[in-house]
Amino acid sequence: MTRTNTTEITNSLVLVAKSANSFDNRYVSKAFRDLGALRRRLTAPALAAVVARTYPVGATKTYLAAVVGEGDVDMEAEEASEPLPEVDAYVHLLVQLYLLDTGALAALDAFNVHVVAQLRAHNRRTLDLIAAKIWFYVARTYELRRDFVSVRPALQTALRTATLRHDDETRAALITLLLRNYLLTHDVEQAANLVGKLEFPEALASNALVARYFYYLARIHAVQLDYSRAHEYVTAAMRKAPQSVQTVGFQQAATKLNVVIELLMGDIPEARTFTADAALERSLAPYLTVTRAVRLGDLQLFEECVAQHAATFQRDATHNLVMRLRQNVIKTGIRIISLSYSKISLRDICIKLQLDSEESTEYIVAKAIRDGVIDATIDVQGFMASKEIVDVYATTQPQAAFDARIKFCNLVHNDMVKAMRYPTSTNRVDLKAHLEASDKESQLLKALQDGDLDDGFF
Amino acid sequence: MALTSAAPYLALLSEADESLKTYALTSLNEVVDQLWAEVANEITAIEELYESESYAHRHLAALLASKVYYNLGDFDAAVKYALAAGNQFDIDEQSQYVETIISKCINRYIAQSQKFVQAPSGPAPSPELTFVFERMLQKCVQTGELKLAVGIALESYRLDIVADILAKADDAMDLVSYVLVIATTVLDNAAVRTQTLRALVALVLGMAAPDYFVATKLIIQLNDAALAAQLFTDLHTKADHLTALQSAFDLVSSASQELLYKTLAALQANEPLATDRDFARVLRVLTGVPTCDLDVTFLANNNNTDVSILNKAKAALDGRNSIYHSAVSFQTAFMYAGTTDDSFLRANLEWLGKATNWSKFLATAALGVIHKGNLAQGRTILQPYLPGNSGSHFTKGGSLYALGLIYAGHGRETIDYLKKHLIEDGNSAGNDEVDVILHGAALGVGVAGMASGNEELYEVLKTVLYSDSAVAGQAAGLAMGLVMLGSGNETAIDDMFQYAQETQHETIIRGLAIGIALLNYAKEDTAKTTIDKLLEHQNPILRYGGAFTVALAYCGTGNNAAIKRLLHVAVSDSSDDVRRAAVIALGFVLLRDYTTVPTIVELLSESHNPHVRYGTAMALGISCAGRGLPAAIEVLEPLSKDPVDFVRQGALVAMSMILIQENEKTFPKVAEIRKQFAGVIASKSQDALAKFGASLAQGIIDAGGRNVTIQLENTQTNTLNMKAIVGLTVFTQTWYWFPLTHFLSLSFTPTSITGVREDLRVPKFQINCHTKADIFGYPPKVADAKEKAPEKIVTAVLSTSARANARAKKAKAEKEKDDMDVDTPKEEAPEPPVDEAKVEEGEEEVPEEVETEDASTRYTKTPYKIDNMTRVVPSQLKYISFKDERFVPVRKFRGTGGVVILKDNAPGEPAEFIKTIRQLSNTEAPVPEPFTLSEEDAE
Repeated sequence: MTRTNTTEITNSLVLVAKSANSFDNRYVSKAFRDLGALRRRLTAPALAAVVARTYPVGATKTYLAAVVGEGDVDMEAEEASEPLPEVDAYVHLLVQLYLLDTGALAALDAFNVHVVAQLRAHNRRTLDLIAAKIWFYVARTYELRRDFVSVRPALQTALRTATLRHDDETRAALITLLLRNYLLTHDVEQAANLVGKLEFPEALASNALVARYFYYLARIHAVQLDYSRAHEYVTAAMRKAPQSVQTVGFQQAATKLNVVIELLMGDIPEARTFTADAALERSLAPYLTVTRAVRLGDLQLFEECVAQHAATFQRDATHNLVMRLRQNVIKTGIRIISLSYSKISLRDICIKLQLDSEESTEYIVAKAIRDGVIDATIDVQGFMASKEIVDVYATTQPQAAFDARIKFCNLVHNDMVKAMRYPTSTNRVDLKAHLEASDKESQLLKALQDGDLDDGFF
Repeated sequence: MALTSAAPYLALLSEADESLKTYALTSLNEVVDQLWAEVANEITAIEELYESESYAHRHLAALLASKVYYNLGDFDAAVKYALAAGNQFDIDEQSQYVETIISKCINRYIAQSQKFVQAPSGPAPSPELTFVFERMLQKCVQTGELKLAVGIALESYRLDIVADILAKADDAMDLVSYVLVIATTVLDNAAVRTQTLRALVALVLGMAAPDYFVATKLIIQLNDAALAAQLFTDLHTKADHLTALQSAFDLVSSASQELLYKTLAALQANEPLATDRDFARVLRVLTGVPTCDLDVTFLANNNNTDVSILNKAKAALDGRNSIYHSAVSFQTAFMYAGTTDDSFLRANLEWLGKATNWSKFLATAALGVIHKGNLAQGRTILQPYLPGNSGSHFTKGGSLYALGLIYAGHGRETIDYLKKHLIEDGNSAGNDEVDVILHGAALGVGVAGMASGNEELYEVLKTVLYSDSAVAGQAAGLAMGLVMLGSGNETAIDDMFQYAQETQHETIIRGLAIGIALLNYAKEDTAKTTIDKLLEHQNPILRYGGAFTVALAYCGTGNNAAIKRLLHVAVSDSSDDVRRAAVIALGFVLLRDYTTVPTIVELLSESHNPHVRYGTAMALGISCAGRGLPAAIEVLEPLSKDPVDFVRQGALVAMSMILIQENEKTFPKVAEIRKQFAGVIASKSQDALAKFGASLAQGIIDAGGRNVTIQLENTQTNTLNMKAIVGLTVFTQTWYWFPLTHFLSLSFTPTSITGVREDLRVPKFQINCHTKADIFGYPPKVADAKEKAPEKIVTAVLSTSARANARAKKAKAEKEKDDMDVDTPKEEAPEPPVDEAKVEEGEEEVPEEVETEDASTRYTKTPYKIDNMTRVVPSQLKYISFKDERFVPVRKFRGTGGVVILKDNAPGEPAEFIKTIRQLSNTEAPVPEPFTLSEEDAE
């Protein structure tokens, strides 16, 4: 068990070293691909063996061995040379993971200080991807210890350094970490400040980070009442996120946020959203009930539902948004009424929607008209008169919708083309093969001309 | 616990009370790195605070603003406010913020200062910026990072600081060399470069114990005869004759003819000097005659030409076709270039007689290439062919051209004779016969008077040009450029450009276009207007000249703007010729960064346009000439099998230029490539152009009896080898006019170490070489073809198996032949006895070792001995050491070949000497027979 584990780690280290030597970060990404599986099987002896093999005798080796908790690391094993900074960082990352997964938070906290100092000592672009991951776990450690504020200066300093050194992945990671940190303490204002003044390296960072960034942006904008922007961001986040089993958590969170934002915008999400994905279905159940309530415009149902699932919403950090839906429930109710009746007294509306008074009903209806939810007028006699429904296809609305879709498709296509990687000059190889073929041919031709092949059988 | 919001402090900023504001600023200054995003919302308030003159702590506000902008990533604004912060901005603080701001400051200062120096009417860099800059340099100097400080000061064109640092430095010579290298290779402003070099010369010569060799380097760069004369006068007063001689040899090997002439004239005008007996030797060296003599002697004594290659090529290319005849003429000329060995031509007089018309012209000119540098006998050898004898006008013209080639770059003795022909025949141009003679004379004068800046000569050529004869005019236009090479003479450029627009003859336009390019050699930005004029001209021939003007003006500078321009032309011009020229020009511009060329031209080598592909091949050949760069060969290999014939030609020639003097140990693939050359020549299916190229390639790869290389940089002085570059430039014109092929011989540099005593005699002694003996040896000679035993056919065999057998046998036979190649001992006679011993020693090595050999293991502790004045290839130089008791180099040997002046520690004792060609010719010796010299001869 330990043996296979050690080999796996060593393989990853080889990839990391290769990427450092060839200045190509692809190999690190390859190593990361196996990291998830590897992480679950990390053991102290395996790590200790790797440490023993990777490091020469010295302070780092002793320290790492002590952290891993295997004091009896064979210190006199074969003499290794000083590892590359990238390999060093990767081993530190593994130790971090091990400590995190074994729940040794105090040890991890102390270890983080060491790791950060180690990272700062090097200025190499090839460290970028690994540094991004390390910072993630540093921040995660603080989070688990419920210490949100004291990590901020460290993150800010690191962000500055990464920006100056053009470490785009680390930069992106730190920005998302800061945003997450602010949102966890409900410092939405600070988060908005940060977002407004920073340029996120969207084209250069990895997709997972971009998705995370968009998700946080959506949350900030949703809180700031800018629902349409928030909706854009949350759909972008869902689209950008890797669609794999590992990312179910993120997908759930994003979908929940999306549902709430859509409801806040006055749209009703399609039923398919809740049932299409088995992995999401159960976690989305509370949101389904909310959606039903909004759809029916049934205020009572809504109140019940919120009361029932309050804890869930709190946990999902959507509670305040869901509370705002109350207005939407009413609006939807009014809309349904306006569709059903061409003229109805405000009093009837009040009764149907179980509102407090006729006067407040008038205000609510007026607001709905102003927001464009319904197309109606309020009569002085206390009536609401709906206007004739015009044929939507006679307007430019469909055209605009199509235009938006086409633009979106083009954008996706362009992004895809940009994201493609072209292998470097394989045509030289082709050329070589081609040359060899033509070489053989010309040899045959020459032989024929010289008459070498003719003798012997005429 | 860290603060989570800056709002309380920010609120204080709008208070009326100043102390509150100051408190807010101080507090914000502490937390700004964490809360900058929030502080940035109030940036206008902070800026206002700075701008209100009445506020006492406005500098603090500036510092805060700077930090906010720094965090926002707006470094320009950050620098602006940091500079405005005055004392608040602490230069010595150890933080990322200060580091970043200072580095941006330095960059900005460099940009502004450069602009200011180039256009002094513009704004000078602000005093704050200057303060920071100077402060940082001071800091550098204090910590002993002198090179760093000098480098930055030089980049900002602050020569005063450079001079200051150099004057105060302890180890100034080291720094001077460093500045020299930087100034010549990195500095891109010609005026500043000259100023820097001048300052350096003054500094070096002003030292108590000046390093005259460095001074010589500087003088060559500056091309200043007055300084050179001063240097020699200095040396004379100090009675340091050895150093003077070494400097003189250095000067001859790298300086232009003009500089040499002027220096010589200045020294001869100096009465007490000119009559001094010891100094007479220095003057003689400066005429260039001894250098030529030593080179020719080396090439003649060590001639290692493999005549069987030539015989085979001649047999294969036996020709009804005159292109084949020319090819073999060129091949002969190159293989024997400078060796004075014309035995092959003399042995094949019948074949030579088949030459007609221009073939005759260039066959005669080939004699000039073979005797190149043989100043003592040149005229005598050519006497039978020169005008005045009965003979074809092609022979006469060719002989004049040959005369020029013999005296290339040392034309003093022959220019008047050639000029006479130009003047006499100049008026009757237009007559077919006279035209050919004029053509030869003009080319000859151009080569011999290269870079002499001789106005008189220029006028004579102009007369020939104005006669508007296509044949003579072309050569005249080219020769005008050669004579005024690198002068940038504006009237000359105007004259030539004007006439190029007037004349109807394309050949003349082309000659003039290249002439203009030559005039602008190394002129860099000064040539810009000419380049623009040419490249934007509607006539493609002039645009072609424009591309070459870029090539020569920015030769070896790696100038980015020039490269960009050439690449643009290479892919966008409507004329194939211009595109080809632009790609070739890339090779010239990137001479010094030759390793980058393969990657830059790789895509172009796959162009659909064969002209661009040809250009790629030549660009690689030019930039990597003599460097043996595997990456370049990798790009060229597919091109050598290109479907288009002339691309193959270019690729073969380029390969030979790159692999010149390489053997199987230093470049394992070379055997295969040599075989390819022979294969193309022998093949029936190859086109004439490709065969022509292969023949040239064979000549080039074994040029000068295998004792020369193509060296575009002078190793002694780190300057560009002007003669070689010009040779290559004109060689590339072979595309239009094949007799110009001979110009390539100008690019050949003998590879030897020649130790010379004070009396200019070459003693026999030995030098140590710390490698295995065979690594840098001559490549094995080709074995004569074995006769094939007739095949006996006993039983009937199936046709298919017969074919297979035949092929297998053939393959095997070939393989055996290969093995023989290695094992055949050398039998050629004219080898010096000691050299032979060396070669035999090499033969004993097992060939399998080739693969295991690698560069790091080449060094061996126990050296083997090589003789004075024998072949030492450039890559071998770093393994050479002088360990002789008696003869010690006057300059510490640092891996530069060429002439080395020796100090004789036992001057009284007898020594053996090698007689030079000149000494031999004085006694009328029939055939040069080195090493048969007895002691009394030497006395």
